[in-house]
Amino acid sequence: MDLDDEGLIRRAVENGDQRAYAQLVRRYQSQLRFSLRQLCGGDQGLADDMAQEAFIKAYKALPAFRGDARFSTWLYRIAYNLVMSHKRKNTPEVDQEAVDKAQADESVEEAQQLAMARDLDSAMESLSDVQRQAIHLSLQRGFSHEETANIMKLPLGTVKSHINRARAKLRSLLQPWHEEVVNG
Amino acid sequence: MVNFEQHHRKGSALRDTAIEGKDPVFDAWLSEQLQLGEPYLDDNGFCDRVMAELPVSSRRAERRASGFQYLAVLAASGIVAWQFPFGEVLSEAARQSISLYSLVGMGMLSSLVVMAGGILAARH
Repeated sequence: MDLDDEGLIRRAVENGDQRAYAQLVRRYQSQLRFSLRQLCGGDQGLADDMAQEAFIKAYKALPAFRGDARFSTWLYRIAYNLVMSHKRKNTPEVDQEAVDKAQADESVEEAQQLAMARDLDSAMESLSDVQRQAIHLSLQRGFSHEETANIMKLPLGTVKSHINRARAKLRSLLQPWHEEVVNG
Repeated sequence: MVNFEQHHRKGSALRDTAIEGKDPVFDAWLSEQLQLGEPYLDDNGFCDRVMAELPVSSRRAERRASGFQYLAVLAASGIVAWQFPFGEVLSEAARQSISLYSLVGMGMLSSLVVMAGGILAARH
């Protein structure tokens, strides 16, 4: 039976059912790990370690989860806090080999798709870290602006401003691709 | 690749609240492109590693501890019953003409005291 997040959390907290929590981990592992890889500059090992720690921390804090926000928002907030805290403690080092490998793994078959994906990557890289994170959370993950602000621990107005500026920049950089799709 | 919200509402478009720009068509296109380029990351033992690191469920630990307590009380009661000289007490009671009812009453009372003591000891 495929329970929703609330049902699985209830089982994990009230019955101590760790299998229910395992279902939550399986449900969100790919998206969280992918998001953290971007946040960690392509360092897959670090991103996976952070994701693992986030899931463990979330499990320990699960009895205190009141359900005001969605589980995914709450989990993301924990993960972002962990990564930011790690970044504060350590000088950020970009593992270029890991970045290249991650990009090589992204197999896009058609040449046009590949070119567009590359342009999209470049456009995203041209954004500031905070703009990229805001766009990733709101447009790629589908979090609302309020949820994005909650995860990033920023005021709502600031997040909206980051998203608007990033969107304007992306629009100017990707307009040819967008027009090609719109015009067929 | 489905995003979190789409996971909850399959087939739905991007949340209305996420599209607050002046060009929702561009936002929807950008959102789609970002999701298209995102690979699904195989579990590859990730879930198992997380589960191995989780603390033992406290409720399960409590239930296990209660089970051990009841077993300890039962074992203690068994040892007492095994060592208790029922035969001698009965024969002495018969010799001194003590009634069977008062003997049974005393036995039950002392059993209750022993059980209560055992439970209290196990809980602490």
